[in-house]
Amino acid sequence: MAAYLKALRSTESDAVLATHHDGRTLASRLTDKYGDRVCSAFTVFGREGVFAPLPDDLPPALAGALAARGIDRLYSHQQEAWEATRAGKHVLVATPTASGKTLCYTMPVLSSVLEAGAKALYLFPTKALAQDQVAELLDINRAGDLGVKAFTFDGDTPGDARQAIRLHGDVVVSNPDMLHQAILPHHTKWAQFFENLRYVVIDEIHTYRGVFGSHLANVLRRLKRICAFYGVTPQFVLCSATIGNATEHAQALIEDEVVTVSQSGAPSGDKHVLLWNPPVVNPDLGLRASARSQTNLIARVAIKAKMKTLVFAQSRLMVEVLTKYLKDVFDHDTRKPARIRAYRGGYLPTERREVERQMRAGTVDGIVSTSALELGVDIGSLDAVVLNGYPGSIAATWQRFGRAGRRQQPSLGVLVATSAPLDQYLMRHPAFLTEASPEHARIQPDQPLILLDHIRCAAFELPFLGGDRFGPDDAEPFLQVLAESEVLHREGDRWEWIADSYPANAVSLRSVADGNFVVVDRTQGRQTIIAEVDYSAAALTLYEGAIHMIQSVPYQVERLDWDGRKAYCTRTHVDYYTDAIDYTKLKELECFDGRNSGEGSARHGEVHVVRRVSGYKKIRYYTHENIGYGPVNLPDQELHSTAVWWQLPQTVLDDAFRSRQHALDGFLGAAYALHTAAIVAVMAEARDLQKAVGSGDGGWSAQVDASGRGQIRAPDGGLALADTLERFLPTVYLYDNFPGGVGLSEPLFHRAPELLRHALATIDGCACKAGCPGCVGPVLAADEGREDTPRALARRVLTLLGATA
Amino acid sequence: MSDLASRLAALRRQAGGVAAPVGARLVRDSFSRGVEGATEERAAGLTAPTASRAGRAPTPGAEATSARLAQLRRMAGVRERIAQPRAPLRSFTRDVPGDELSPGLRYLEQRFALPVAPDELDLSFARMTTARRDHLLHFDTETTGLAGGTGTRAFMIGAADWYDGALRVRQLYMTTMAAETSMLRAFAEWIDADTVLVSYNGKSYDAPLLATRYRLARMANPLSGLPHVDLLHPMRRRYRHVWENCRMQTAERRLLRIVREDDLPGSEAPRAWLTYLRGGASTDLVRVAEHNLQDVRSLSGLLVEAHGWAALDAASPAGDEK
Repeated sequence: MAAYLKALRSTESDAVLATHHDGRTLASRLTDKYGDRVCSAFTVFGREGVFAPLPDDLPPALAGALAARGIDRLYSHQQEAWEATRAGKHVLVATPTASGKTLCYTMPVLSSVLEAGAKALYLFPTKALAQDQVAELLDINRAGDLGVKAFTFDGDTPGDARQAIRLHGDVVVSNPDMLHQAILPHHTKWAQFFENLRYVVIDEIHTYRGVFGSHLANVLRRLKRICAFYGVTPQFVLCSATIGNATEHAQALIEDEVVTVSQSGAPSGDKHVLLWNPPVVNPDLGLRASARSQTNLIARVAIKAKMKTLVFAQSRLMVEVLTKYLKDVFDHDTRKPARIRAYRGGYLPTERREVERQMRAGTVDGIVSTSALELGVDIGSLDAVVLNGYPGSIAATWQRFGRAGRRQQPSLGVLVATSAPLDQYLMRHPAFLTEASPEHARIQPDQPLILLDHIRCAAFELPFLGGDRFGPDDAEPFLQVLAESEVLHREGDRWEWIADSYPANAVSLRSVADGNFVVVDRTQGRQTIIAEVDYSAAALTLYEGAIHMIQSVPYQVERLDWDGRKAYCTRTHVDYYTDAIDYTKLKELECFDGRNSGEGSARHGEVHVVRRVSGYKKIRYYTHENIGYGPVNLPDQELHSTAVWWQLPQTVLDDAFRSRQHALDGFLGAAYALHTAAIVAVMAEARDLQKAVGSGDGGWSAQVDASGRGQIRAPDGGLALADTLERFLPTVYLYDNFPGGVGLSEPLFHRAPELLRHALATIDGCACKAGCPGCVGPVLAADEGREDTPRALARRVLTLLGATA
Repeated sequence: MSDLASRLAALRRQAGGVAAPVGARLVRDSFSRGVEGATEERAAGLTAPTASRAGRAPTPGAEATSARLAQLRRMAGVRERIAQPRAPLRSFTRDVPGDELSPGLRYLEQRFALPVAPDELDLSFARMTTARRDHLLHFDTETTGLAGGTGTRAFMIGAADWYDGALRVRQLYMTTMAAETSMLRAFAEWIDADTVLVSYNGKSYDAPLLATRYRLARMANPLSGLPHVDLLHPMRRRYRHVWENCRMQTAERRLLRIVREDDLPGSEAPRAWLTYLRGGASTDLVRVAEHNLQDVRSLSGLLVEAHGWAALDAASPAGDEK
């Protein structure tokens, strides 16, 4: 209580402020007052606008509509996109966030609808973005009385509306999952639409990477195949955020050449960026203040300076905690409208639309969000963005910073480091953020299992003829396998679908989605659904006793109906929140193949992965004391998949390493390097292929804990010491993060020598001293001076496994 | 790489798998092509290659194809651990009824005295006016499944109409996939501008399915725009709270006093046809044809029943089931 009152009365923030501020003045004030916490301050300079007049060949009605909305000239990149699309080319728009990318495709699409009655299909990764788009199109439609019919077509579209959309929709706005499951397998119902289809617009293509991107590329192959049946070759317009290889990625997705528009002509103000490290509060132990305390401070200062502020947190829990702290300061008078709102997945769609509306209208001063707001939902312009923790990629960092900045005004971006090793590494080496190019997006659409799934779906849609290709190759081997599993029947030259099943239902474009949970509020006899939680997050947030927060209002979960996918909770007034303790362990089930690898061995086969929540901590607000534990009794999340793994015999380890802890650190570092080499080799995303270090019999598992040290967990979840184990046979696993595997492990096994060689080369060629996120993983400042650095240890493990320079 | 290939081939032979050597082309892109200049890789010492997917390796030869097949089969096996037991071979019949109109397309025609219908039928029960007896076409399809979408097809179409003083039942069915187009064409010839369609749940199921098949065959849909009496809905309106359910066989039993013996359930029809298609016995397919025949006959009977409701209700306002 005392801490809370103290926070309320804090004059710290008031002392910083004198007059009105903008990004530049606030950045310099913060640097002046808190210089010891600012590790780096730099400015991304803005630019003048480069304009072009509205094109001559724009239909007059459309020009009128644009003028009515205040658009009487274009940015240079919008004009470039116009020229390229009118010339019949596929176009990629890769300008930064908030540069008016939408107009690049809206103009050609609406022109073709007005001139030729052509149709267009828009694909967005989320429903929120889709609805935004339709709202935008309807606005332009109204402004110019154009008569264009635009609709969303997704899981929420009611049955009776669907037929009307199929027959009369000019622009259909949907998402890849809907296209895959509902539109393509029923394409005859869409015959009129396909016959007149001219443009396919795909936004946010940088999100289609790894296995998800590979699936999308195949859905597009099926789309093109069906368009060909109706005698049409659509033109693609793609939009991407700033990634290292936008053009290449776009070309890989549509398997055709694109014209890239990347120079933005939109004017922008300077962006002042600060890298902020919380101060050391205990010099003896080297403990720092928490990131959330700093984020809280910076956000308070910015909001009091009348800057519209957006705070990004790394988890839904942290969103709720931060919202609560800010609301305590700004929204303590509940009669007034809320100035602080939270935003995250898990809130009901109506709630999210409401928050978006308020943001656009400017009635909200501060928003706390997860990565849900990283993508292009229009929320107006903000003056300051604060990141609570490094989002994990350079691209995501700049994407988030890109949310701030109105026209020519200077804006502020602050990255606050948590105690996670990666964040701390960044604070010591800011060049990693500023000088590195953003990550590359990779896909591998010809992965055999993915290809098999989509050829199966394609055969359902249209029969295959002998000699037909799907993707770059002849589809015959796949058709044969499908005929053997009796879903296809071959007659002469044709392969026809005969099974009584709907293949698209069995193929999910994204990884496991095993049924969302709903959270039901039972306070005072009510039965209202207040939130939705997806399957993977359920075990971590909905156990009995958990405090689940919605808009920072706490509810306690009283009963969890796991099979019924419901959590019953009641409004509560406790002064703590809960945080689950979870760990992962792995067990080998079957080994398909193996061979020697240096002094150890490499194998691949089936594994069983278990993720268990063993309990939870109760943490008091403000003081962050741990005031208790609670048990959790939930089913484990299991995954049955394929993996590739490396091992060294105990004798070799005992000879080569001074202690088992050293060997363990070496294995953890080697796992990191091998994982990086592997995901590049198979064009996967980091989340598609997971790494783990453990003993293969499901005994113990090891992770790098929050303090950067390798920790062993015994089977019951408790911590153990390496030296106390009887058998010490650490193993590095790389497994497919999809049930049944998705075909990543086997090629990795066959290329194991190459992977080892490249992992070693990466470590050797790294300019760091003791280890870094680029080779073996971030290392603690303390480790940088060690004799046996994590880097050296990892190198030793890789060499023992047979890596040659 | 050849040392590796031969070792793997040896392992494979040991395991009794396909003895074809594992081609180096199993994984399409070479490792060096996948590595790009991103910081996270710090690919020291590797040449920065083009990571574009143009300029791929040429299609592998037959040897690598069969190795690929084996790999695919095994990979697919990890996910679907279903062992399909092979049915023991028995001697069976492959005789199918009807005449062959064209390769794979068979035709059956039969005539029946009953039911008798007046020249004009009252369709007020279906919220329509009237129809002439000789315009009515009762139809029912047998399909490869209920999944819907473009992968489901009709393999049999039965139709009943009053012709030349009797109820004529015609049936078309295909014994090969290739005959679908001719079947659709033949059915279209039974329909003209005056046809009034009669079905049971046909508006939601049979008609859209045929529309899809005509569209895929790039033929005009002869059913579009025609008046369509779907008896399911009037039956439901009248008997929903009276009978245990409103399935056609229930209506048949209660209103027409017809009980079928040894009828093959509709859900077994897909398998019956597939069995025959794959070279198996035709016994069940014959039963499907009988089932389909009875379906369209009963349809005509139910239509005549429903035609009589208006008069019945006028006579006794509390319209009961007989």
